[in-house]
Amino acid sequence: MRTFVLRRLLQLVPLLLAVIVLTFALLRAAPGDYVTTVAADPQVPTATLEAMRHRFGLDRPWPVQLGLYVRNLVLRFDLGESFSHHRPVAEVLRGAMLNTLLLALAGALLTWGLAVPLGAWAAARQGRAVDRSLSTLAFAGLAVPEVLSGLLLLMLAARTGWFPVGGMRSLDWDNLGPLARLADILWHLALPALVVALVPLAGRMRQMRSSLLDVLRLDYVTTARAKGLDERVVVLRHALRNALNPMITLFGYTLGSLLSGSLVAEIVFAWPGLGRVTYEALLARDQYLVAGSVLMATVVLVLGNLVADLLLAAADPRIRHA
Amino acid sequence: MTRGPQAVWWGFAAGLALSAAAGGVAAQPLRTPMAETGVFGGRFVIGALSDAKTFNPILSNETSSSEVSDRLFTALTETDNLTRRNRPALATSWEVSRDGRVWTWHLRRGARFSDGHPITAADVLFSFAVAYDSTLHPSIYDLLSPHGRRIQVSAPDSYTVVMRLARPHALLVHAVGSLRILPKHVLEPVWRAGRFASSYGVGTHPDSLVTSGPWRLKQYVPHEKTVLTRNPFWFGVDARGRRLPYLDELVFAVVPDQTTCALRFEAGELDALDNVKAEDYRRFERGQPRGGYVVHRLGASLTSNFMWFNLNTVKRAGGRRPVGTPYADPVRHAWFSNRDFRRAVSMAVDREAIIRSVYFGEGAKSWSILTPGYGPFHDPAVTAPDHDPAGARRLLARLGFRDRDGDGVLEDARGNPVRFTLKTNAGSVRVQMANFVRDDLARVGIQCHVAAVDYNTLIVNMREDFDYDAILAGLGGAVPPDPAMCGNFYRSSGATHFWNVRQPRPETRAEARVDSLFDRLLLPGTLAARRALSSRIDRILNEECWLVWLPVMKVELPVRDRFGNVAPNLLPHRVLWNIETVFVKPRGRGAGR
Repeated sequence: MRTFVLRRLLQLVPLLLAVIVLTFALLRAAPGDYVTTVAADPQVPTATLEAMRHRFGLDRPWPVQLGLYVRNLVLRFDLGESFSHHRPVAEVLRGAMLNTLLLALAGALLTWGLAVPLGAWAAARQGRAVDRSLSTLAFAGLAVPEVLSGLLLLMLAARTGWFPVGGMRSLDWDNLGPLARLADILWHLALPALVVALVPLAGRMRQMRSSLLDVLRLDYVTTARAKGLDERVVVLRHALRNALNPMITLFGYTLGSLLSGSLVAEIVFAWPGLGRVTYEALLARDQYLVAGSVLMATVVLVLGNLVADLLLAAADPRIRHA
Repeated sequence: MTRGPQAVWWGFAAGLALSAAAGGVAAQPLRTPMAETGVFGGRFVIGALSDAKTFNPILSNETSSSEVSDRLFTALTETDNLTRRNRPALATSWEVSRDGRVWTWHLRRGARFSDGHPITAADVLFSFAVAYDSTLHPSIYDLLSPHGRRIQVSAPDSYTVVMRLARPHALLVHAVGSLRILPKHVLEPVWRAGRFASSYGVGTHPDSLVTSGPWRLKQYVPHEKTVLTRNPFWFGVDARGRRLPYLDELVFAVVPDQTTCALRFEAGELDALDNVKAEDYRRFERGQPRGGYVVHRLGASLTSNFMWFNLNTVKRAGGRRPVGTPYADPVRHAWFSNRDFRRAVSMAVDREAIIRSVYFGEGAKSWSILTPGYGPFHDPAVTAPDHDPAGARRLLARLGFRDRDGDGVLEDARGNPVRFTLKTNAGSVRVQMANFVRDDLARVGIQCHVAAVDYNTLIVNMREDFDYDAILAGLGGAVPPDPAMCGNFYRSSGATHFWNVRQPRPETRAEARVDSLFDRLLLPGTLAARRALSSRIDRILNEECWLVWLPVMKVELPVRDRFGNVAPNLLPHRVLWNIETVFVKPRGRGAGR
């Protein structure tokens, strides 16, 4: 097991290198650089633009820029400086990453907390009214784009005043006590987390349902039923555990996409997260900030998949012994 | 020595008695003009689409930063956005020599930075030194180099600054008023160590950000908010000699999405918006009485919209193509070079339909980059060929453009179908405008294909590789709104002389005339004389029809009605320019007293 984990972590190194090279190449292939976005203002003189290009090292050939970046990264864990924020990339990313993790975890919790029981319920009542109405709801959730559901929820918040209209904290947050602070953040978290949860919810629910249905058709379930066990015991104790295996893998993959799955919700709800920072960095061609953000997302993706595999091994002895 | 009209301020400020306000006021406080005397306290929250990226006023390149840093740092003079005239700030008065080359500035005595350190001539000299740092080459460098030469700045004593110019310049006071005064005692060591570029960034601890303006930093939360609070040493006072600002806090709340921003305003979480889409105007106007806010109608925006054809040619020898080769396809370049073709295009465009549909009726025609919002410099007599499809068809027929194969698209004399691509930036209201232009051109037999491209690509196209037929874009308002600020656009050597940039020598006689008229515009003169000059320049441009002018948007901004002295204006920063005089009206009673 230890060698397995170690091997996976070692695989990260070439992967990260490839990601960096690809990110740089793609940024280079797109026309313009950070200074071009500044040049959009006709009142910025050409000499200013040239001074900036020189200061940021953008006047050097890109393999040199890439080499310097990799060297600083390897030797000093230095992610470089963000052009547009005039600050180290690590500093810009840190806060934003925590905020995104908070939103994404809340979203994932909501998705899975609803998907597993609802999916199981639908499977147990296959073909009946409960199953059909849940399916309809799930597909409706899947069909409505995040932007729309986000804006609709925002309008609800604006009209009723039940929820704040975007943001992560009230303006008076700093004057609140610790419990009130937590409540304030949860209050702000509710709607964006719901938007993050809605789209994957439908898929996960359907997967849970079909996975449980598959298991319910197996011989050992028939045996259990034939034994005269209560249907609830059959489903919950015997079938559900096995039906959960594929779901655990999926859950691991959810962990992998934690940093990248909430872009739309972040923008609509003014959530100060990584998606927004990355999006703005892309538009501004803030290359080291983009690279830093992509690196973080890659690391989290790989770690998420690793956790998925470990979870599966923990849940299913057959895989552990293989 | 001639004394400017501003000299009257000297007596005004000096004659003001010392006030009893806490801490005592400056020996020469600045009495800030305002509609009504306010009361202290309260908070003003404005929605910002983006974070401040730096608090360093010399380095800020975007409004989201400068709207904060301009509140933090003062200058020798400031602009009164209502009268559009300069008024004293750190300087109490100034004089100019008869030949217009020597300016003497008298600094306010007793003015202090937010850490209590006095502001003197040394700080002014230091701010100039940083602005003239060629390794940084900040944007303000060129503004402070009238006619391309640096100003010689000296300080005979701690409260006098003398500036010597090679030649007199029309915008000197404005230029000097754009240079924000930095604390030498804090930043000089940083600058000498070569670390100025990263100083006063958003990561700076609020206590070590020493400011010279009415406000100082209280808190910065990345991607959420910037909170300013009053600078206890600010020299501005109200009519009763009490130290401004009235408000306890000024908050910039970051809301990246315009729709969310509008909803947040409606929910009462924001006190003002700085940016509203024309499609939301109706909604805000309807919500006015109940919503507790007033919609301020500011009139036609300073941002112009226009399209132009690519007449750029290779300027530098040694490239793949010889000097003088047009970048556009030679057949199209021949059409674009024809003034009547350009006029026909201008006559094909139905601007009223654009105003109705794109701006929901809240737009205005404009025939110059000096839109109606430019006030005294806007000349309503300047026009260009407007909507006249029949006339456009006649002009095209005279050029030998006929529909020879009956497919509805004209062909030129050699049988080439008349079609071109119109590029504009994706995701903006300009795409809609371009679609209208396309449909209008189809009606006169010109096939126009609209390509919405990424903003950066468009900038590269128009400034570097010239890979386009025509572009629909625009220019944001100049600060100050004076045609002399638009040299990059008017001059044939300018980088934003879009249709044919960076000409080593003016390529047409009309452009040579514009260049020489523009040089005269840079020299001091009466408003009437300078306005006459800029009108002549605009008439020449429109005579040649290098630009096809499109309507501009009218600006409306909602602000909560519980605040007094709110006077939004087209000039930046629209709502905030006089925020130190804004106050919360006491409830139940009339405002003021």
